[in-house]
Amino acid sequence: MTALLKLDDISVSIGNLGLLDRISLSVGRGQVVGLVGESGSGKSLTAMAAIGLLPLIGGRVTKGTVRFDGQDMAAMTETQRRKLRGARIGFVTQNPMTALDPVQRIGEQVDVVSRLHLGLSRADARARTLDLLTRLRIPEAGAVVDAWPHQLSGGMKQRIVIAMALAGDPDLIIADEPTTALDVTVQAQIIQILGSLVRERGVALLLITHDMGVVAQVCDRVAVLYAGRLAEEGPVGPIFAAPAHPYTAALIGCIPQDGMAKGSLTGIPGAVPSAAAFPAGCRFHPRCPRASDLCRNTPPMIVHRTAGQVACHHPGEAE
Amino acid sequence: MTAPMVKIDALSKRFQSGGGLFAKPRTMMAVREVTLSIGKGEVLGVVGESGCGKSTLARLVLRLIEPTSGRVTIDGTDITALSAGALRRIRRRMAMVFQDPYSSLDPRYSLADVLAEPLRLQGEVIAPARVDEMLASVGLPAALAASHPHQLSGGQRQRVGIARALALKPDFVVLDEPTASLDVSIQAQIIALLADLRDRLGLTYLFISHDLGLVRYFCDRIVVMYLGSVVEVLPDTRTAPRHPYTRALMDSNFAPDPARRRVIEMLTGEVPSPFALPPGCAFATRCPRASDRCRRDTPALGGDAAHPVACFHPL
Amino acid sequence: MIAPLRALRRPQGAVAGLWLILVICAALFAPLLTPYAYDIQNLPNAYQPASAQHWLGTDEFGRDLLTRLIYGARTSLSVSATAISISVFCGMVLGASAAWFGGWLDRIVTMTVDLTWSFPEILIALILVAIIGPGTTGVMIAISVAYLAQFTRLTRAQIMTLKGETFIEAARSLGAGNAHLLFRHLLPNALAPVLVSAMLATGDAIILEATLGFFGLGAQPPVPSWGGMMSAGSALVFKAPWVIIFPGLAVAITVVAINLYGDALIAELDIRSRLRREA
Repeated sequence: MTALLKLDDISVSIGNLGLLDRISLSVGRGQVVGLVGESGSGKSLTAMAAIGLLPLIGGRVTKGTVRFDGQDMAAMTETQRRKLRGARIGFVTQNPMTALDPVQRIGEQVDVVSRLHLGLSRADARARTLDLLTRLRIPEAGAVVDAWPHQLSGGMKQRIVIAMALAGDPDLIIADEPTTALDVTVQAQIIQILGSLVRERGVALLLITHDMGVVAQVCDRVAVLYAGRLAEEGPVGPIFAAPAHPYTAALIGCIPQDGMAKGSLTGIPGAVPSAAAFPAGCRFHPRCPRASDLCRNTPPMIVHRTAGQVACHHPGEAE
Repeated sequence: MTAPMVKIDALSKRFQSGGGLFAKPRTMMAVREVTLSIGKGEVLGVVGESGCGKSTLARLVLRLIEPTSGRVTIDGTDITALSAGALRRIRRRMAMVFQDPYSSLDPRYSLADVLAEPLRLQGEVIAPARVDEMLASVGLPAALAASHPHQLSGGQRQRVGIARALALKPDFVVLDEPTASLDVSIQAQIIALLADLRDRLGLTYLFISHDLGLVRYFCDRIVVMYLGSVVEVLPDTRTAPRHPYTRALMDSNFAPDPARRRVIEMLTGEVPSPFALPPGCAFATRCPRASDRCRRDTPALGGDAAHPVACFHPL
Repeated sequence: MIAPLRALRRPQGAVAGLWLILVICAALFAPLLTPYAYDIQNLPNAYQPASAQHWLGTDEFGRDLLTRLIYGARTSLSVSATAISISVFCGMVLGASAAWFGGWLDRIVTMTVDLTWSFPEILIALILVAIIGPGTTGVMIAISVAYLAQFTRLTRAQIMTLKGETFIEAARSLGAGNAHLLFRHLLPNALAPVLVSAMLATGDAIILEATLGFFGLGAQPPVPSWGGMMSAGSALVFKAPWVIIFPGLAVAITVVAINLYGDALIAELDIRSRLRREA
């Protein structure tokens, strides 16, 4: 499978502050890739770098290339990039309340996307909207298109935002914590719907989340970030079965599970360092149970394995 | 179970919203006839989604808001009948940890001020070493005593919030989603700290959360609420749920194991507005098992006394 | 370092602050700074332009203009500052009680305040001076009432927002009563925006005081005030323009300085959004 979006060894800075360091990952069509890590690990920044939005926050790619469908993003003009984002990339943000225009009816907001990007007539756009809403399991889609955003619940609004992201027939969807603001039962539904729609339509999905449970449920691959570096990347099956990086293992271990003995959930000691205070060597070493002198002094190289990559001096050893 | 620490008896809270010159105020029952008891040293979990009344319940139990009806008895004292002065004095025996570690600390206070405040409020003089001791008890270095909240991370702030709640050595602590705004790695740290403090100090907890997985890990007994009412009380963490809503909550929790992927049985329908509840069971609009009876009559919490459930068609 | 000092490190804050310190010192130490008296007439000496003896010239009675300007600063600053202090104090008491106790008290306060808010300050002040009678005390009361609405509104808005903060609930859960919540949490947190807005209002009050003085309603002759001096100078615009120009400049520069310094302080305290919320 050729990658639709390919980040090749990119580093990102804002001013003199290096925030991301040598991150490689790719997302293929019909594939769901999870981008996980604690807050401050660089997830959202990676996504912004992927679609050339860094200038908005004063950042720049200092090293490496980002390719979308084979094209080098850095070689494009800003107009081309803007067109690419508009026509071929869909976004789902954390807060659906801010993504919808409060003074426009739901149907019109979804219609306009396909009219603009696919050149559909009003009638065709509306038919497409109704079809999308039905696929998103929105009951009474015919009534919902005439509703105002404030009349819908949070979960319903987020489904509308997903519909808007899908309406222009994008190749890639970037979803930044799409369910964090929602209730748990609704959250589960949205994740499930999003996963199946993406596969059904051959869209690539980059899913930013902090929840390893969500990753396990819906993703094909996962990239674990820590303090601006890639800790581990690869297919979910092997990574969850036997995480090579202690940070991956720790993140998985933070999720309470059925039958877990009391006291076995201890979390990860300490906190993510700020970009101005990244420690020397492996950035995870102050919080790592396996840290050795090597880890304290030398940053680990990224080792490519058969299906993925890992950056650890002591990968996959028993705790 | 030993003698109960907390007894909640038919507690209800009605809220009015809106209303003014031209609009008629709308009312909703945020908490409806809730009866519970919490044993000494027990961790009772209350779980439910937004709008289920769990945070209102937490505030009612500590009488931070006045109930519309019902009673709360803490270690034999009916706190709903106390005068304002007596209530302020008995507050040393109960405390609360709040969800948002950012707004729960006065930005102008240093940590030493934050931790001294409860003692001052109860007319005690605070020894300087006491602050260091309190910081140490929640795993924070004494050097932080002079810092202000904005200099701390979310996890550190929540530790301060816990230290403040325990400053007066209470017997009973209400934990209102203490980890909901923290990273999972920090959540696990805080939960471990709370468990440790309970063992060391013999505390009784009322733990409010939206996360059934977390509640099942941390709590001894679990109360499930939906739109203001208790729908099920799970006697322990292993018992299988009998209410379809509890089942749905449980299914919504993804295990971090791709091998255990599953297709979730979708809840169809929408959550009704709490201002305009339909007759019958409040969950009927989303329930896969709902019958005509569910849409007509309201099921009472009943059945097995140890594992009561409010459902006409339990699993 | 505290915010008022940090504001001095910003360029515009430094220039403005320097001017304000100069004016305040001049007002405080007026008798030490000038060999002339502000009130002794010397008619042969009238209408002198600037010279080595009289740096800013003399007025129609031959009095040294710089001396009168310095004494005028005394009147202008003390009247405006006192008036605003009274206004801030009363506004905070009213606004805080309205926000804290709510109910009918809040409704009455809000209604009254909104009513006065809809009139320009100058109109309120003119009506009040007309009732009380001209003079420094009258002007002081008039200005303080004219600005009462602003501080009541601001304080009320601040307390209303702070009331919903979790730390208030946390203090209550530990046994705090009304007095503790108001004086230990709510008012200290509301103070910074109110004080900054008071400082900016002092600038407006100086203009208001000068205006009332211009109409002859402020400090009565021979006591100088900037407004009174401009009023006297308005008849001499062509004969001795400096008599009106210098007090006019004094008002303008001082008011601009107060605003510039106030802006620096707002930036330093990071409270721009909190000030906007009320307006």
